[in-house]
Amino acid sequence: MSTQTQSLTDKRVPKQTVVGRLIPYLLIAPPIILVAALIFFPAIQSVIRTLTPDETTSGGLFTLDRYRAFFNDPNSVASLVFTTEITLTAVFVLLIIGLVLSLYLRFRKSRLSNFVQGLAIFPLFVPGIILAYALIQFLAPRGMIDNLIHATGTKPVFDAVYRLFGLTGYRTAYLRPEGVVFAVVWEGLPFTVLILTAGLGQVDDSVIESARDVGANIFQVFRLIILPLIERPLLIVICLNFIGIFGSYTLPYLIGPAAPQVMGVLMQNTYNQFFAPLEAQTQAVITFLACAIVGLLYIRTIIRQRAGQEKFA
Amino acid sequence: MSAIAPIVSVPAAAIPKRRSAQRDWIGWVLLAFLVFFILGPISTVILWAFAIRWTGGSLIPQEFGFHFWELTFARADVRAAIPNTILISVSVTILSALVCLPAAYAFARMRFVGRQFLLLSFLLTNAFPRFALYVAIAVVFFRLHLIGTQFGVILIELLNTTLLMIWIPTAAFQGVERSLEEVAMDVGASRWQVFFRITVPLVFPAIASALLLTFVGTFYEAVAVILIGAPNVLTIPVIMYPLINNTLVTQYGAILSLVLWVPSLVLLFFARRLVRGSYLTAGFGV
Repeated sequence: MSTQTQSLTDKRVPKQTVVGRLIPYLLIAPPIILVAALIFFPAIQSVIRTLTPDETTSGGLFTLDRYRAFFNDPNSVASLVFTTEITLTAVFVLLIIGLVLSLYLRFRKSRLSNFVQGLAIFPLFVPGIILAYALIQFLAPRGMIDNLIHATGTKPVFDAVYRLFGLTGYRTAYLRPEGVVFAVVWEGLPFTVLILTAGLGQVDDSVIESARDVGANIFQVFRLIILPLIERPLLIVICLNFIGIFGSYTLPYLIGPAAPQVMGVLMQNTYNQFFAPLEAQTQAVITFLACAIVGLLYIRTIIRQRAGQEKFA
Repeated sequence: MSAIAPIVSVPAAAIPKRRSAQRDWIGWVLLAFLVFFILGPISTVILWAFAIRWTGGSLIPQEFGFHFWELTFARADVRAAIPNTILISVSVTILSALVCLPAAYAFARMRFVGRQFLLLSFLLTNAFPRFALYVAIAVVFFRLHLIGTQFGVILIELLNTTLLMIWIPTAAFQGVERSLEEVAMDVGASRWQVFFRITVPLVFPAIASALLLTFVGTFYEAVAVILIGAPNVLTIPVIMYPLINNTLVTQYGAILSLVLWVPSLVLLFFARRLVRGSYLTAGFGV
């Protein structure tokens, strides 16, 4: 009797008072306002301002002149292409290394595999700026790799390998695209391994064993059993690495070539050195658009994953 | 041992275990790769920090010592930047807790229209390419006269912490067994007593992790400071940029790197716990 009345009042109280219904909204208002003011407002404002005509542009109600100017400028286009190339290459390399490492960690539990996991996660505890410094000492001329190659007398071997890729011979990676890829792969590795290992943890041993029992080889097991089961973690890793690398600044700025620049460095120069906020905003909007599909895919994947988890619980 | 193994007939399932100890060649290959790839660059920092002379193509410095440590700490920019970096990180951590923790409690414990949607809206902080967003914010801040101010920097850093500071505590508050609290109420504890004696201790590990990650993340954030705080606001990561790029003395960067590393090494100390609670990946919305 008493429990019944109590549960009845429990249900009614929040419905009756207006103040009671407002309390949760008051509590969540500060962070929501923060996100709205610092993401929605600047992003929408950039879109509107870059489309609004002024005395330098044509058009009555809105203008595409600034975007036309971006795509007519070889420098800007080179930046966009370069950023896309670097990003796609690095995401691909990360995926391969991440998959190999996390598959190994999924199927081997030993002291050795603990060491491997520890090393793979270690970059998480190395701040980006320290990484930039370390990689310059590692990759630059007279850096560690360079010294090792000369000390061991293996330069001819590296010359031959580099010629396979159409280059004149061995060169250091510092101030080159491959240096940037090296750096962002280094930085992205722990996150990739953590997410993929967690995803692979959901794959049941029995499923793999039964597949092996009916005669599937390792590659078939991977393609037909494991890959479909880790689709979501894979998507999350691809999307977040893509957005992260596309919007990066520090590592490409300190380790990459002077030209072409990645979008981040281009925007920084346009904004700070040339004092051209509208052009910088145009570049920002183009960067948003380049990442829009991937960003939406990321949010959709997380929503589905959470929906799946809640059904489970 | 290994000589006996083939004689004893082993069930098929046990074979991988027998192999794992010594013949795990994939593991050794991966370990060798990671030692070179991960530890190689790091070792240069440590070698340079204690090097006095390292010239030519030598694999290690010719002379070791602490000479450059004194020179580094005598620099005025370094002396000014250290307290400033700590001040900004502490402010952001406290503000982030004040802004986000009540919201996390509401998301976990209250039912209201749009709860799920609003909780997911924090994912937007990850869906935008970081630097492009900073540029868009910088243009707005310029007109609000927030460029070059500590407050402007703190606002941006605060944005970077919201996802982490809301999602980790929300999950923690959701994880508290309601029956525990009800039992305490039944034996006569007040609402506040229940909150501080039952709920808070249970969510403390998660919230402490979130605070630690927020502090360390803010401590190392340099891009927002460069774009929003320049030229007035200086932090140690920011003064690293010119030291890396155009100084003749390589040691300065290495020594500052080691000093700068301290907060992250504290984090490393808790690494096992952070991995197990999957707090490290929470910032990515996973």
